[in-house]
Amino acid sequence: MGDDILSYNGGVALAMKGKECVAIACDKRYGVQNRTIATNFTKIFQYSDHCFVAFCGLATDVQTVSERLKFRTNLYELREQRKLKPVVLYNMLTNLLYERRFGPYFVFALVVGLDPKTGETYVYDSDNVGAVSDNVNLATVGTASEYIFGLGELFFKPNMNSDELFEATSQALLNGVDRDSASGWGAVVYVIEKDKITVRELKGRQD
Amino acid sequence: MALANVLGFKSNNEFDRSLQCQKTDNNIDEFCPTLNIENIAQFITLPPYADPAKYLKMVNEKVDRVKIQFLKGTTTLAFKFRNGVIVAVDSRATAGGFIASGEVKKVIEINPYLLGTMAGGAADCAFWERVLARHCRIYELRNKEKISVAAASKILANMIFEYRGMGLSMGTMIVGWDKRGPGLYMVSDDGERISDNIFSVGSGSIYAYSILDAGYKYEMSTVDAIDLARRAIVHAAHRDAASGNIVRIYHMKETGWEKIEEKDTNDYMYQYRDEKTMNF
Repeated sequence: MGDDILSYNGGVALAMKGKECVAIACDKRYGVQNRTIATNFTKIFQYSDHCFVAFCGLATDVQTVSERLKFRTNLYELREQRKLKPVVLYNMLTNLLYERRFGPYFVFALVVGLDPKTGETYVYDSDNVGAVSDNVNLATVGTASEYIFGLGELFFKPNMNSDELFEATSQALLNGVDRDSASGWGAVVYVIEKDKITVRELKGRQD
Repeated sequence: MALANVLGFKSNNEFDRSLQCQKTDNNIDEFCPTLNIENIAQFITLPPYADPAKYLKMVNEKVDRVKIQFLKGTTTLAFKFRNGVIVAVDSRATAGGFIASGEVKKVIEINPYLLGTMAGGAADCAFWERVLARHCRIYELRNKEKISVAAASKILANMIFEYRGMGLSMGTMIVGWDKRGPGLYMVSDDGERISDNIFSVGSGSIYAYSILDAGYKYEMSTVDAIDLARRAIVHAAHRDAASGNIVRIYHMKETGWEKIEEKDTNDYMYQYRDEKTMNF
């Protein structure tokens, strides 16, 4: 794996849009270079009823950034007395990451969300210093991101319903991680709809 | 070969296939000496300056951002027991983080009574073990007797030693059965050649060793030995990122080697989890 800091721990996450639903998925490996230490390290965190963020990269920064962001979102909800929206969340993340512009965190992030009233979907992709993409159909981050992007583009169709979206996301993730030695060992997929959030564990290759 | 002499026929050596007639092809002999496996060392071109070992070493260490690092990302193991030798390997090839292939054949069938394993550079292992196969065959023809494992592994070790320091990467185990019984030698690119009862080579060897050391008994039955080897590879495949995909197992018996199985490690992992011997 070399001495590349973003592949030191490995890991991958994928987000895809459907019709009034979004899916976000990640692998569950925690390892140190070639050694796999745990298979229960999920990289997806919830910040509001319909707002999720996945962080991939150095594991210590995944934990730190997710917790620091939670601190800020908690204060927001207390002060504003209202729940977070996805656009607000991604702005907070951008600021948090850019504060460390000259000594950055080594995490790349995916922000996904849904507006439960209008059904509008949001998928954003952030680099490690806070550059956020526009609202996109498909985004991946992590060591296997290139392999998953290819499969995701293949399986993606506009306006999929939640079952089709789940299938597309799962297949793209599971087959993509089989080409990367630093990701895999199981996966978890969240499908977020207006009225419910479904969490499913995928049976993946354990090598 | 009187007729050949009259015609001025000259052959380079007794195994030469390319026939050169001296009178008409005089110049050709000089410019294209026939490539055969005996003078192959001339054709593996070394860089055209003095002390290539010193310069080639730089290519393996990080100098000016150049670094070709052969990491032995694999798990191979072999152990002797009462009924012969069991050899088990995984089948994954990684290039950095990318899994280049999940179907590499890491056991090289040198001849029906000798096996070699592959770890490190695939080309190095495959090539030199094929040269070893040729030497073993010639020995057999000249001496009317099969070559011993000790001699075969020594031939390989000596060949590798000539290229020491030039960046060959091989961690191979030579397995066979000769008149002294089962034989197992580990030969590596730094010229090491040692014999023991249990060996494992590669990045996953640390995990395989723990399983092997915990369950090994010389008096094991064949079924238990195969199970131990399989478990060792499967556990290594689970923990080591650079090992996995398919497990291949061979059994070296007095009558030669037999391929036992070639199965997906992932299926075994879920089976062991149900049996509560693996946890994830």
